[in-house]
Amino acid sequence: MNEAAKPPGAGVRVLSDGQALSQLVWLGVVLGAVGLVGSLALSSGQGAQLYFSWLVAYLYFLSIALGALFFVLCLFVCRAGWAVVFRRVVENVMATLPVFALLFVPIWIGRHELYSWTDAAEVAKNPVLRGKSGYLNESFFLLRAIFYLASWSGLALYFSSQSQKQDQTGEERITRRLSAVAAPGIIVFSLTLTFAAVDWLMSLDPEWYSTMFGVYYFSGSILAAFAFVVVAIAFIHSRGQLRGVVTVEHVHDLGKLLFAFTVFWTYIAFCQYFLIWYGNLPEETSYFMRRSEGSWPAIGKTLMVGHFVIPFFFLMPRAVKRSAPLLVAAALWLLAMHFMDIYWCVMPVHLEHGARFGALDATTVLTVGGFFLAAFGWVSSRRALVPMRDPRLAESLSFENV
Amino acid sequence: MHPEDNVSFEPVVGRAPLILGGHDFHSITEAVAAPMERTPSLGWWIAFACSASLLGLLLLSIAWLFWEGIGIWGLNVPVGWAFDITNFVFWIGIGHAGTLISAILFLFRQKWRTSINRSAEAMTIFAVMCALLFPGIHVGRPWVVYWMAPVPNQMSLWPGFRSPLLWDFFAVSTYGTVSLIFWYVGLIPDLATMRDRSKTRIRKIVYGIFALGWRGSQRHWRHYEMAYLILAGLATPLVLSVHSIVSMDFAVAQLPGWHSTIFPPYFVAGAVFSGFAMVVTLMVITRKGFGLENIVTLLHFDNMAKIMMVTGMIVGYAYAMEFFIAWWSQSPFEQFAFVNRAFGPYWWAYWTMVTCNVLSPQVFWFKQARTSMVVHFIISIFINIGMWFERFTIIVTSLHRDFLPSSWDMYYPTIWEIMTLAGSFGLFFTMFCLFARFLPVVATAEVKGVLPAANPHLGEEGHVAQSWTASPAPEGAV
Amino acid sequence: MSLVVPALPPGETFGLLAEFGSPKELYHGCERVRDAGYKRWDAHSPFPIHGLDHAMGLGRSRLPYVTLFFGLCGAVGGFTLQIWANGIAYPIQVSGKPIFNWQPYMPVTFELGVLLAAISTVVGMLAFNRLPMLFHPLFGTRAFEKVTDDGFFISIEAWDPKFNPIETERFLKQIGATNVELVARDGGRVVEGRGSSEAGASQDAKAR
Repeated sequence: MNEAAKPPGAGVRVLSDGQALSQLVWLGVVLGAVGLVGSLALSSGQGAQLYFSWLVAYLYFLSIALGALFFVLCLFVCRAGWAVVFRRVVENVMATLPVFALLFVPIWIGRHELYSWTDAAEVAKNPVLRGKSGYLNESFFLLRAIFYLASWSGLALYFSSQSQKQDQTGEERITRRLSAVAAPGIIVFSLTLTFAAVDWLMSLDPEWYSTMFGVYYFSGSILAAFAFVVVAIAFIHSRGQLRGVVTVEHVHDLGKLLFAFTVFWTYIAFCQYFLIWYGNLPEETSYFMRRSEGSWPAIGKTLMVGHFVIPFFFLMPRAVKRSAPLLVAAALWLLAMHFMDIYWCVMPVHLEHGARFGALDATTVLTVGGFFLAAFGWVSSRRALVPMRDPRLAESLSFENV
Repeated sequence: MHPEDNVSFEPVVGRAPLILGGHDFHSITEAVAAPMERTPSLGWWIAFACSASLLGLLLLSIAWLFWEGIGIWGLNVPVGWAFDITNFVFWIGIGHAGTLISAILFLFRQKWRTSINRSAEAMTIFAVMCALLFPGIHVGRPWVVYWMAPVPNQMSLWPGFRSPLLWDFFAVSTYGTVSLIFWYVGLIPDLATMRDRSKTRIRKIVYGIFALGWRGSQRHWRHYEMAYLILAGLATPLVLSVHSIVSMDFAVAQLPGWHSTIFPPYFVAGAVFSGFAMVVTLMVITRKGFGLENIVTLLHFDNMAKIMMVTGMIVGYAYAMEFFIAWWSQSPFEQFAFVNRAFGPYWWAYWTMVTCNVLSPQVFWFKQARTSMVVHFIISIFINIGMWFERFTIIVTSLHRDFLPSSWDMYYPTIWEIMTLAGSFGLFFTMFCLFARFLPVVATAEVKGVLPAANPHLGEEGHVAQSWTASPAPEGAV
Repeated sequence: MSLVVPALPPGETFGLLAEFGSPKELYHGCERVRDAGYKRWDAHSPFPIHGLDHAMGLGRSRLPYVTLFFGLCGAVGGFTLQIWANGIAYPIQVSGKPIFNWQPYMPVTFELGVLLAAISTVVGMLAFNRLPMLFHPLFGTRAFEKVTDDGFFISIEAWDPKFNPIETERFLKQIGATNVELVARDGGRVVEGRGSSEAGASQDAKAR
């Protein structure tokens, strides 16, 4: 099969039609609607549980979209050539970020159930909360949330739209510009992600703190994004698209990234846990003490084994990273583990005596996940699945792994 | 021209050439080996003489330290650690860039690393030597330093494995050993080159022994490349772990300003930052001295500048997080620790750190700066000054004023501590001068491998890789 | 004195050494030699050539298994050492924490695992390559001095079942070799018409 005679992307056009993903839109909308109705129905008398479950689902799917944004920014900053063939898929994941602005609304509505610092009486009694109230107050919280969501949406839409524009015009200038913008983009990303993690996740326990927390949420996000991209590519292949375009060589690299970031997540999570354990200061250990009752310790240990030991040894052999079913299995497993991680971060604030996975958790995941998938499908169906006229497409198509 | 055109050497299609000047395989060998085979230049002798005198200063300081005891230093209660541990962390940090260049850039398939990795790895080994010096001499009873090793003894005592100081012992020893191994493995083909070029018998024998009889056999290269890949894969988590463990010397304590969960990755980023700065300092001089401008090119400096920016910004992020969380915690001790850093008696150290680490690398946003040797040399020295002061700030300001004001005191270094610090640079640069004299400063075998002519499929049509999922590509497709 | 002595074919001749002009020619030459069914042969280059393993029909190195095994030994051994030394041999309680816990033992466990993995990798690599092997007949030839500079060679050893001094030489010339010479068992070229090799051809053969 001779590519040199054709311009890069010529035959690829046949294999990169995003229309194949338009079914996802309907599936996503249906799941989302079912989930929403279910959540509302089940939420009577369980208001707090609804919001906590929603927060888990929201932060979970948001982390996938944010990880995808970071991945795209990195690919541009590093002027990477190997990943161009599937970069559009990653762009489509990050292009769902505007939807998360809408999905944030229930968190705002439920803020009194979620965040104890919104309770003025509590704050008045507690000098620590009073001291922080210049930052931790509702209006500033809302303003910051709008800022984060606007920044992410802005970055995502800018990169997506410019990349799509390049499909039409083929301008090299676009690649250069995106590479230049990606660098400050990463700075904005890291600061907004950190403070979003502080605001939405760390402030659930407003007296607790950890300087590592933003990095912790980031490490889970990037891993989840890689895993989601692996699954997305497999799904797209099953729809007959991108075969021979995104090949085992590219996916092998995604497998290596999954392996590496499993280790990275473990490193970050362990450092945070270990330093708090060793210092044994009550204001810090409260985080783990809160997770020491009922089934929470078991979940913690499951995370250690399931989020580290198993994927570490499973993803080590080269053959696994080059095998479709095995790598997809690993990716799905990691996505499940990431959910457990977010659940472990959020839910103990509400369910102090042990985990109780209930119907509301399922319906909220269906809602947020459904709309996320619908958005992903919708964005994908409106553009080519490969950046057809990216200058580095030829390099990516002929990429061979070691 | 659009401003964004001026951002990178990398063209938008294809890749920039890594080696300039029309080199072929033989001319690379000549360019790297020839300077070593001549009698050393005046420049080398001057560098060697200066470094050796500083080394002499170091030996003198250590001899006096062993004779008189730690009292000759300015340590007191509460400041039990100052220059000694600052220097230890400083030198270990510098070493990390070598491993990053060798291992991590290798795993990321960054071919440009081949021009600088040999010197960077050598730098790592010498930096680790300098680093290991400090825990060794600062213990007060250096004749029983072997107690750190888990050997059975007449007191039935075992090392305290729960202590970060002991983890340091294992981590830094492992790091030194693995770095040495990795550097040596990389050297084998180049030692064979030196062996085959030797004009004198003694050179032939010495290079020949260390080259282990290497003959470029593909059956050997196969295992060699696998070993290199594995070592790169091992060295990557190792370098992350070593400086994380070093950071835990502080982070496991309960001291405000020390006890911070972000310390491990923050220290690692800072280490890479200062290490790259030292690589830049060394390479600016070496490439000029040995005429290697076409092998270590402006592209390499451009990339190194970008890595310094990234790691510098991670360090800046960590400063911001620490500051923010100190406020967030509402702990008066935490808040005081940071206010004291910026406005207390050591404010000058703090602001030197911020200026050198956060502000000075910002000049690298401009391509003219990234491709100027003068700017690189100056900024890299600033960065290392800043990183030294960072460790000094963390250690001394947190110690000198902690929970109880009645325990507060000031720390002033003595001349012996300053001489030991200066002398450690003497050890480092002496070793580097000797390295440059006797061993190839560029990994010639690796550089040859990234020349376009090394590609066995040069000029042929591209391969098409097999499909990932089982079903074959449909008809008419690429 | 070499620590490992090469295994050599019996008789006077070691084999044929053929020089090629570039990595590309060497690559294609190797494919032809592989396809012709030779088994006792090797390619030589100053740097590893991408894909040459495949062109020679060689499989992947088994080194990772060595690394994994010793890495795990190191990690398990390190952990056991710590548990035993600080928990059983001389139990010491530090900062009120339990005598047996795993958290503070992780750093040393990891380091010892990496240390043993790295050392075993290098020792394994040398063992698989049978290095150091300071003497080898190929070092006797002048041409081979270029192998660490810019020379690319294929050597076919005399004990390969398909080896024939005339036929194989013709085959090598046909696949693109620029310079083919017969190498004697104790180094040096085999000169036509004489049964013995020119051992004196390179007096420093022993020193290399």
